[in-house]
Amino acid sequence: MGLSPKGGLWLGGVCALALASWTMIGCGGPAGTTAEPETGGTTSAPVGTEVKGDIEVQAFKGGFGIDFYQKAADEFNKKHTGAKVTVDGDPRVWEKLKPRLVAGDPPALMFPGWGMDHWSLITDGALMELDAALDSPAEGADGTWRSTFEPGLLKLGQQEGKTYVLPYYFNINGWWYDKTVFDANGWTAPKNYDELLALCEKIKAKGIAPITYQGKYPYYMVHGMLLPWAHSVGGPEVIRKIQNLEPGAWKDPAMLKSAQMIVELRDKGFFATGATALTHTESQSDLVVGKAAMIPCGTWLYSEMKEQLKPTNKLTMFLPPPVAGGKGDPSAMIVSIEPWMVPSKSPNASGAIAFFKYMTSPEKAREFVAEKGSLMAIKGSAEAVKIEALKEPARLFGESKDVWSWQVRDWYKAMHTEIENALTAMLNGELTAEQFLDRCEAAAEATRKDSAIVKHKV
Amino acid sequence: MKASSSPWLFRLGFIAPAFVLYVGFVIWPLIQAFQISFYRWRGTSNRVTWVGTENYEKLRTDPVLSEALGNNLFMMFVGGVLIVILALLVAHALQKSTRVSQFLESIYLFPQVVSMVVVALLWQFMFNPQFGPVPLLQKALGLGEFQSGWLATPNVALPAVTVAFAWYAVGFYVMLFSAGLRQIPTEITEASELDGSTGWHRFTNVTWPLLWSVKRTGVTYLVITVMNTFALVYLMTKGQPDRKTEVALTYLYEQAFTNSDWGYASALAVVNLFFVMAVTLLVMWIFRRDPTERRARA
Repeated sequence: MGLSPKGGLWLGGVCALALASWTMIGCGGPAGTTAEPETGGTTSAPVGTEVKGDIEVQAFKGGFGIDFYQKAADEFNKKHTGAKVTVDGDPRVWEKLKPRLVAGDPPALMFPGWGMDHWSLITDGALMELDAALDSPAEGADGTWRSTFEPGLLKLGQQEGKTYVLPYYFNINGWWYDKTVFDANGWTAPKNYDELLALCEKIKAKGIAPITYQGKYPYYMVHGMLLPWAHSVGGPEVIRKIQNLEPGAWKDPAMLKSAQMIVELRDKGFFATGATALTHTESQSDLVVGKAAMIPCGTWLYSEMKEQLKPTNKLTMFLPPPVAGGKGDPSAMIVSIEPWMVPSKSPNASGAIAFFKYMTSPEKAREFVAEKGSLMAIKGSAEAVKIEALKEPARLFGESKDVWSWQVRDWYKAMHTEIENALTAMLNGELTAEQFLDRCEAAAEATRKDSAIVKHKV
Repeated sequence: MKASSSPWLFRLGFIAPAFVLYVGFVIWPLIQAFQISFYRWRGTSNRVTWVGTENYEKLRTDPVLSEALGNNLFMMFVGGVLIVILALLVAHALQKSTRVSQFLESIYLFPQVVSMVVVALLWQFMFNPQFGPVPLLQKALGLGEFQSGWLATPNVALPAVTVAFAWYAVGFYVMLFSAGLRQIPTEITEASELDGSTGWHRFTNVTWPLLWSVKRTGVTYLVITVMNTFALVYLMTKGQPDRKTEVALTYLYEQAFTNSDWGYASALAVVNLFFVMAVTLLVMWIFRRDPTERRARA
């Protein structure tokens, strides 16, 4: 094919336009890409006794804002005249932090939010190991800093026994309902799956959708139904095997039972029409306005929906109804932490540790719980909960004998996307429970075989 | 500076700013992207691992990429046909240059002016399973309803997104075809009228062939627009349900920003670029000769 000079010029223009997608990737690449060992060494953080100089903190500015951290910084600066903590934040702070980490210019302390893959940071040696600091004295409490944290939550920031990220506030996954609506109809929160089925029948008869869900984000269903029910039927061992990528783990009878329970709810018409297409706010609004009676969600639901709540709404939570006679503890709950970390190239690691010790002191933790209405990873802070909607989750946490976390979503993201896609297909009636599990097992196998993916163990 | 004494310096002075920006913001990132595609890079530090062609080998057997490119092609052909038919009809209707037609032309161009985010939100509302006008109309016409809504029902979601894309793009093609139709000399249309050619016959034998250059530009632009579709799909469906609306760039985004696999994402970007160029070359080959010139020679 011959091109005229005009044609060549035209093609040049076309190429320039087509390059748009390419440049989406190229901007901000690693300067001077030289091959280095794939996993990084670790630097141990100091214990935080030297408190001077500038301490820059970058924090995720989510529903709770950053004003609490800024206020804590002012107090800290007054106490330590040689130090100056500055707290800055952004709703997409991870986008600001990534280029700084790549360039080796991170802040002293960071809370990078949900958009940052902190497991990659650990693998790359970009975070400090915090065990020495955790074994040093706590601020405002007797004993070590470590002893002030809920041990089950501290474990969630560890890799191969070493701690790299520290929990601050955390979330519990359960099912939310409006107590006003339940009381008005004489309904009670179901204590097990059979009671759930009976309750759904009654709710459906009233013309209300028994259950809605955040279909656009299928992980809510993974955390709210699939996993807790598998845990309830087969106990923690089932989940441990899956998280450790053991062959055949998804074919466990407990997983099959859990998937079949979701199919049963689907086939009985207990899910809200069109829920697969709904966002988190749309589906949660349906609960608030009484179009749906129950929704699986984390404890963040309250802060997300509080602007829409009417005085009559009495939102509260119960744990996913367990299966009677199952191996799992009925009080078991899935939690997720909001992690803080010290970059290995932190310009003031000692100051960062000292400031975070102050932020997690029992007194400040109780203040955070009272002010922001979230549960904190510091022992004893749940007593400070003032918001009615969070009292029940706090009680459930206090009574839980088995607190666990689903790490696959952070560790093996491609695998989790496939689990979510397959779950959507099952909810849409395209897959049976067995076919759904086949896809999950295949995704686990692909992850297992991919040498590029760093493997983790529970 | 005297232009006559050093014309090359004078010209360079004009070219240099744009050239520097182009190299800095287009060529250099492009070279970097190509370079990254041969590495494993998590995007969180400067640690990289040379993997040679591993990312490209992975691409060959990636079923999601095939599905995504298939969806891009669906939007290109189905959306393209829809756009061309609608744009031609409207452009024909607006041929008489009156104030009303000029006003309408700008109205049709409106979706191009507003942000793609607004377009996506608008169509999300249109298809909302609870209060969206489209499902309500469907129900009112006795056509039943999709249990999961338009955007979450497999085999319906992609056509729904394609309709939104066509709505967004059609205004530009109305403008393009209007300009093309106005360029057709009146002597030709009058002559064909005298020869008794009217209606469909005149359209297929006179108007359509004379729109050659407009068609070439339009199709090429369509190919590029569809292959670079990202925001509309990402905001409307995020590739859901079960990747039924996944397109090349949403998949690329997932690899880079969700899976932290920048090497593979870069390889996807390289492949996308060459795919666009290949399809564009094909379009140029199809439209390589002006059919009216061929007729004139004959």
